[in-house]
Amino acid sequence: MTLITIESEITGNVWKIEAAAGTATDEEDVILILESMKMEIPVESPEKGIIKEILVNEGDQVQEGQGLAILDTDS
Amino acid sequence: MKAAVLREANKPLEIEEVQISKPGPREVLVRPVAAGVCHSDLHFLDGSYPYPMPTILGHESAGVVEEVGSDVTYVKKGDHVITCLSAFCGHCNKCLTGHLSLCASPEVSRDATEESRLSIQGETVHQFLNLSSFAELMLIHEHALVKVREDMPMDRAALIGCSTTTGVGAVFHTAGVEPGSKVAVIGCGGVGLAAINGAAIAGAGQIIAVDRVDSKLELAKAVGATHTINASSGNAVGEVVEMTQGGCDYTFEAIGLKSTAEQAFQMLCSGGTATIIGMIPVGTMVELHGVDFLAEKKIQGSNMGSNRFRVDMPRFVDFYLSGKLHLDEMISKHIKLADINLALDALKTGQEARHVIMFN
Ligand SMILES: [Zn+2]
Ligand SMILES: [Zn+2]
Repeated sequence: MTLITIESEITGNVWKIEAAAGTATDEEDVILILESMKMEIPVESPEKGIIKEILVNEGDQVQEGQGLAILDTDS
Repeated sequence: MKAAVLREANKPLEIEEVQISKPGPREVLVRPVAAGVCHSDLHFLDGSYPYPMPTILGHESAGVVEEVGSDVTYVKKGDHVITCLSAFCGHCNKCLTGHLSLCASPEVSRDATEESRLSIQGETVHQFLNLSSFAELMLIHEHALVKVREDMPMDRAALIGCSTTTGVGAVFHTAGVEPGSKVAVIGCGGVGLAAINGAAIAGAGQIIAVDRVDSKLELAKAVGATHTINASSGNAVGEVVEMTQGGCDYTFEAIGLKSTAEQAFQMLCSGGTATIIGMIPVGTMVELHGVDFLAEKKIQGSNMGSNRFRVDMPRFVDFYLSGKLHLDEMISKHIKLADINLALDALKTGQEARHVIMFN
């Protein structure tokens, strides 16, 4: 199992979670949408895999570098 | 209504039929008369700032109120308004300490459980910066607009909605330029020209415009630059330091590049302040010489000119109507919504001032 943590590039709020644990994702599929400085910022899957865990909830504040989701890329 | 929809980065916008929701209690339906095509739209078009799609770009507009929600008392049908992406809640810590443009309250947009303001046959269209102005109608929070004088021409008013507020605001509010000070502005697009104009209104003693395009440097002189430097020579920093005999009190970066942000810092005299207005791509780091901090050089960001737009924009309208704020020169062409892609292409080449969409 190869697990990668998808981190936030910015400080902001979690506006909407688009994919649940167990979802199969392709590269560039949107996993969740952050909100920062009036902008909605999609967080995309860096590669093909299955989402192992979503680490945040809608409405949470997140910091730059904070883990948002864990992706299993072996599946 | 018709709107220019972005479905994929780096692809042309498509004019599509879009459904717009009814105003909620604190929302206002605005019929835009004019919409500026701003350089920041390009950052989202080319993906350097990712945005969820489909979306409708555009964030610089002026129009007429069409319909108001049940709780709205500030405007009524027929009022002339300028929209602003700096929607404020009015009661968070940022708002209550006078930093309205930094308000991050989610209550000015609809949350994920409500019907989307914009949609295409049931598919959510993400509203861009709470505005989405490349469209025949806009549904926005009442705190995303300001009422203005009806003798203000709408195409000029639209520019106040973003580029003027961003550039002049950076000079007045973020930096606080004092009369007599030495100023340099890197990048003479709409925002940079507005910063130059703002520095002139603020009474700066020396205003140096830096750009690579001679026609833009000419425009810079027309709006208040006292000196110009064509940066193609490759030594803009050296030339600025020489012209000012030791560097500037205030510099402004209005492009959004690592290199020019660093140059803005290098152009300062001791105690000077560099203000970065341009949108530097997500993930880019900026490097400074640590020793410069001993000379009390400062660097700071400015977002939408640290505005209090309900106060600022009517003042900018007065500045225009009294001849202090130059907006006529900023508009190179009036276009129709259907020609939006040509305007975006023209902006990419960097040769021209702004195109303004006129709705009729
Ligand atoms: Zn803009
Ligand atoms: Zn607020």
